[in-house]
Amino acid sequence: MSAGVLVIVPAHNEEESLPVTLGEIRRGAPECDVLVVDDGSTDDTGAVARAAGVRVLRHAINLGVGGALATGFRWALTRGYRVAVQLDADGQHDPADLARVTAPVLAGTCDVAIGSRYVGPSGYHSTAARRAGMVLFSAVVELMLGQRITDTTSGYRAYSRRVMEAFQYDVPVDFPDAPFLIALARRGFRLEEVPVTMRARRAGRSFYTLGKQLYYPYKNLLASLMARFQRPA
Amino acid sequence: MGLTKIQIVSALGAVALVVLVLELVRRRKLSEEYSFVWAVATLLMAVLGFSVPLLKSVTQSLGILYESSLVFAAGILFATVMLLHQSVKLSRLGREQRALVHEVALLRSALEDTQGGPVPHAAGERA
Repeated sequence: MSAGVLVIVPAHNEEESLPVTLGEIRRGAPECDVLVVDDGSTDDTGAVARAAGVRVLRHAINLGVGGALATGFRWALTRGYRVAVQLDADGQHDPADLARVTAPVLAGTCDVAIGSRYVGPSGYHSTAARRAGMVLFSAVVELMLGQRITDTTSGYRAYSRRVMEAFQYDVPVDFPDAPFLIALARRGFRLEEVPVTMRARRAGRSFYTLGKQLYYPYKNLLASLMARFQRPA
Repeated sequence: MGLTKIQIVSALGAVALVVLVLELVRRRKLSEEYSFVWAVATLLMAVLGFSVPLLKSVTQSLGILYESSLVFAAGILFATVMLLHQSVKLSRLGREQRALVHEVALLRSALEDTQGGPVPHAAGERA
């Protein structure tokens, strides 16, 4: 806990890729503590994480990434961490970038640092449909925030203690992206993007199944619009 | 004035519904809060079904041509409001459930600290 950085790894049925990710974090950022939030997995995710020697919090029911983040926030607050970073278990987020993502929050220049694949060099390639969606939500977010966020769906983010305090009881979204960014900005938190490299997922399936591909844009758009007008809960 | 068939049927239907609602409350399968809404709706339908002059005058004052349309409209309106109310309740239950899941996760972790090992999953849990 020397640097006061907690890496929160939300994991839902990630027994295959989790050990690799945890190993990479240990090698790439040995100064960081790691917390795995086993989000209602039906496989051996929890056991695999324990075997790797990290702390595991288990959700009895799958709550989604937002819920896992909130649990991580509360745990980080009670243990006195200065910064919490979300890092996905599937290997898309490179632990080698951890220092870069946490630096602006540790320095106090922003409350949320977003690891973005569109700022600077990146190894990320995506489908046309997904790129179109990203452009759309980037435009929506810019309209709402008056600030350009190129990578609204990036989950690779570092959060300050103030953010953790505000969202420790729940991050009320399944995927903490566009609506969450707007909710953050509404509370006056400063957002900043830092360049990172996104990799292809190692194992497991993407959250974006066919049904969700239809439902997700609707829900996200509505939630984004509502986040602008809702009272902070 | 003798009772018409439709008056008898609607009166019996309303009485049956009231008895059912009260019985569900007695068995604690329906909370008093919901039973109140059902009781009011049942009473309203009973009055409208039983008193033909009242039904006619309400229908006319609303500019509706047939009495049956009023009864159907009232029923659909009630069902819609009730469904919306249920959706709101479900959303709140979802939020409360999320809060409990957070709480249990943190408590389980604290328990593991004191016990020095993983705590077995609850019986109702998957996996």
